[in-house]
Amino acid sequence: MQLADKIEKRRFIGREFLLWLWFESEIFEETLTTKKHGDFGFWIEKEIVLSAGKEATRIKGTTPAHAREAKEALRLGKMPERATFRLVLGERESGFFLKAEALALGALTLPAVLDDGSAPTLGELGAELSAPKKKKKGAEDEAEREADGKAEAFFDRMDLTQEVEGILQELYRDFLALRLGASWEKIVVPALRDWLAGDELDADRYRVSRDKAVAARASR
Amino acid sequence: MSLFRGSLTYARFFVDPALSEPTTGNFADRFLEKLAAHPFEPLDPEGEAAERIGWCRVGEPFETSFIYEDLFFNEFMNIGFRLDRWVVPPSLLKAKTREAETAYLAKKGRERLTKKEKAELKDMVSKKLRKQLAPTTRIVDLSWSLNDGVVRFFTHSTSVGAAMSELFRTTFGVTLIPEAPYTTAARLGLTADEETAWVDLEPTILVTEETAPRERGAR
Repeated sequence: MQLADKIEKRRFIGREFLLWLWFESEIFEETLTTKKHGDFGFWIEKEIVLSAGKEATRIKGTTPAHAREAKEALRLGKMPERATFRLVLGERESGFFLKAEALALGALTLPAVLDDGSAPTLGELGAELSAPKKKKKGAEDEAEREADGKAEAFFDRMDLTQEVEGILQELYRDFLALRLGASWEKIVVPALRDWLAGDELDADRYRVSRDKAVAARASR
Repeated sequence: MSLFRGSLTYARFFVDPALSEPTTGNFADRFLEKLAAHPFEPLDPEGEAAERIGWCRVGEPFETSFIYEDLFFNEFMNIGFRLDRWVVPPSLLKAKTREAETAYLAKKGRERLTKKEKAELKDMVSKKLRKQLAPTTRIVDLSWSLNDGVVRFFTHSTSVGAAMSELFRTTFGVTLIPEAPYTTAARLGLTADEETAWVDLEPTILVTEETAPRERGAR
């Protein structure tokens, strides 16, 4: 198979990844785990779009994935195309949407960056008030401070962006461990079907089985 | 939505480490030279080009000279991608072309135009209209994380992404690999068995013939 086919003809895997995230966040009560990051809050909020061909179902709301139409769309063969997620890791909270077939992030809102360099600290204010004014030097300092603030804000934003990307990457790694092995058909698909049918699902039992499969892949 | 403020919407591209220029020695000078060879240059209304692409500074679309301090933020290289395009409203072009055709026929005392004359008149009108219009401008921020070989390009437009990739290849001699389920999987590392499994993948069927009637019956 050519590289282009591996990319283009398997984009549906991105949709299955979104479905799996939705499924696990629901059965694990909105708390997911990766080996690297531990536990974190993760759930669908605001919007989910499911589609098959040209037919799409767009559901908006506080918890759109819980809407009856969401699973109804799945039963009709539609798969998640895009969903908006909330991610809570420790004190930090982010929101973003994920486009399934490109695994592209959008509208990523990052936790507030406390110091963007624009606001002087109390100490700086005091020093500024007591210091004699030197117009030229002051303008140079201001420009330098602005540049430093810009750089600092950029680094903060990139750190936080990479943290979100890192979590998604680990989730994708776990998903692939299941999807590309026998455990997908043995463990995940039956659980997905039960979940979709509204049947009782033993989440703890599922967790033990899937953890074992993920760990087996990691040890290879 | 940009690199420095607001929410972030972007597509990732991977740089093959084997193809990536080593970031050692005077790499910054080399990058600056390469960028200087591909700055954004404004469109000429008289010219043949309908669109033009090039690099500019982030947040400064008219600034096409590059200095180290504006470009490099530790391991990140941040630049602006600018794309200008002539967009003449089709209805305006049609009306003005018709006007020109009528005037031309009257001047020549003829009733019909040749195909070539028609095309030439349309081109002339289009160029005349360009002088009265400003091209549409699109500026997209780009951040290249040199350490991990990831380029973040702040739009989801595939056509703009493709134009940027081409300019990136011309500028740096590096082919960008767009993020997709497969390229991300390959980057994470697939075993030989998993590569085979990838080729054999079929979409998961959630609703089977056995479950579908049960669902219908439950309603």
